[in-house]
Amino acid sequence: MAETFLPHKAEILKITQETGSNLNIKTFRVRFVDEEVMKSFSFLPGQFMETTVFGVGEAPFGFASSPTEKDFFEFSVKETGLVTEALHNLKEGDLIGIRGPYGNGFPVEKARGKNIVFIGGGIGLAPLRSLINYVLDEQNRGEFGRVQMLHAFRSPEDTLYNYDYSFWEGAPNTTVKYTIDNPAEGWEHLVGFPHTLLASELECELPGTKFFTCGPPIMIKFVTEELRKMGIAPADIITTLEMKMSCGLGKCGRCNIGHKYICKDGPVFTLEELDQMPDEF
Amino acid sequence: MIKVANSEELEQLLNRLSQDYKIAAPVVKRKGRKERIEYEYIDSPGEITLERQPDSSPKKFFLPQNERMEVEVAGAPGTEDKQKTILFGVRSCDLEALKVLDDVFLDDNYIDAYYQQHRENIIIIGLSCSEGKPSCFCGTLGIDPVKNDSAPIFLYQRGDRYYFKVYDEEYAYLLEDLPEGDEGELAEIVEERAASFAENNFTLDLPVPLPEETTFSAPFWGDLAEKCLGCGVCTYYCPTCYCFGFFWEQGEKSRCWDSCMFASFTKHASGHNPRRSQDQRYRQRVMHKYSYHPENYGRLACTGCGRCLDNCPVNLDIRSVLKTVESYLQEKGGVKSG
Repeated sequence: MAETFLPHKAEILKITQETGSNLNIKTFRVRFVDEEVMKSFSFLPGQFMETTVFGVGEAPFGFASSPTEKDFFEFSVKETGLVTEALHNLKEGDLIGIRGPYGNGFPVEKARGKNIVFIGGGIGLAPLRSLINYVLDEQNRGEFGRVQMLHAFRSPEDTLYNYDYSFWEGAPNTTVKYTIDNPAEGWEHLVGFPHTLLASELECELPGTKFFTCGPPIMIKFVTEELRKMGIAPADIITTLEMKMSCGLGKCGRCNIGHKYICKDGPVFTLEELDQMPDEF
Repeated sequence: MIKVANSEELEQLLNRLSQDYKIAAPVVKRKGRKERIEYEYIDSPGEITLERQPDSSPKKFFLPQNERMEVEVAGAPGTEDKQKTILFGVRSCDLEALKVLDDVFLDDNYIDAYYQQHRENIIIIGLSCSEGKPSCFCGTLGIDPVKNDSAPIFLYQRGDRYYFKVYDEEYAYLLEDLPEGDEGELAEIVEERAASFAENNFTLDLPVPLPEETTFSAPFWGDLAEKCLGCGVCTYYCPTCYCFGFFWEQGEKSRCWDSCMFASFTKHASGHNPRRSQDQRYRQRVMHKYSYHPENYGRLACTGCGRCLDNCPVNLDIRSVLKTVESYLQEKGGVKSG
């Protein structure tokens, strides 16, 4: 499937409006039109796809659904530029182009048998959701230890995947916490940036636990540094980066940090790996 | 095997070859008052000039500046160019540059079908340089301007005599009309030329790949790139610069050259830009050629062709940049490459 720069046609099955009036995030559920393509398609949590709006352009999005879903896959889009705006204007039943999957994906195997902490920020929750729903899937849940989540949003209006929360909260041996930037009326959860809450809110045994975080670049920097201060081994702090990946195959030249190509060698890196890379993201 | 011709026989040869092949070669082009030498498809051998290094590299034949990808949906191959091309008169710097493009586009992990098709469709006849221009520094980078065995056939011109050294016998049939020549005569030319190139006053003592972290975080980039206008002309003329982008024209996907010198190259839709200033972008270009590509593929991504400094509107000279890197690393002392 990753043999070409040209995409396969995919149908939009469902569009979910995720956020309220503050941010415009939609989640697209799609499947390939060609059944053979759909059948042979597989991806790992943390990988990404290149999505084409025909005649407009192409942009990279992380998979937001679990690979355990075989009939469709999902990605979430914040309306920001040309391609995302065009995507937001599409309707269910419309056709888009998709090629991929690209990138390395999360080190799922290394997390087996371990406790896991997820720290998401805004739409950075999208790639984490793919792994969260994979780990919490009934078939897989027994293979991982305690799961804790701390998800940060700007305001109560900006939460996403609300329809997953009861599933997450009801999963065995799992805790989910939510925080917003500033106090808001009717908000009964935490308030404050996630890095300020890590020390007080995490309840699990820290050594050996795998930490997965994704959010805006500034949040990633603060959270990973805070975890380092708490004594977490950099190899156990895992994040995923976003650059302007275009070809997806380490050729076109715009997503490298040092000699590493985010689209090919990433987008998932441990803090240990990031420490070896120039500071250019 | 050596084949020889005089200019009349060369013309006959090219005329005959043009019945079966398209021929591209350096020709004089006038753009306003400017006279330039560019690689173009030719109609008659009389157009060819082998006088000096062409102003542009022949990379456009392998990675066209704009290339339609025909259809947006997978499964349909690109345009198939049935008639093969003979690319005539490619010098060492540009032959070596092709190896850099091969590294990237014929990588085991992913073969770029478009590039591969062009590459297989083009037979290259190389050309020995008889003299360099002031900005040439291929020799400093270990490239021999006089002889190069990476093209199947390599040409030496001396006056009215043309010596074809055939490295790949599979292509000897192209020259079957020509009489065989004397190895000794050719060796003489090679020796003569080697001597004339031996006097190289530009030397570099750089670890390759450049040590990534040390060179990246060096304090001089801001000063070095201060005058850079970000026009990108260096990347367009560079025979090894291959960065590209996709664009859409009436529903058709195309690929075009892009440039790390442009702010928009890495700018996210959100406005965030990991390389927001021109010195960061200039650093990327130098580091890519002297650190990142060598790290990933074991080869420098610069061939010393000198075109970036011939064409830079503000005379930003990569040689003096490299000299600055050299003295910085020597000051730091004992910095190992990698």
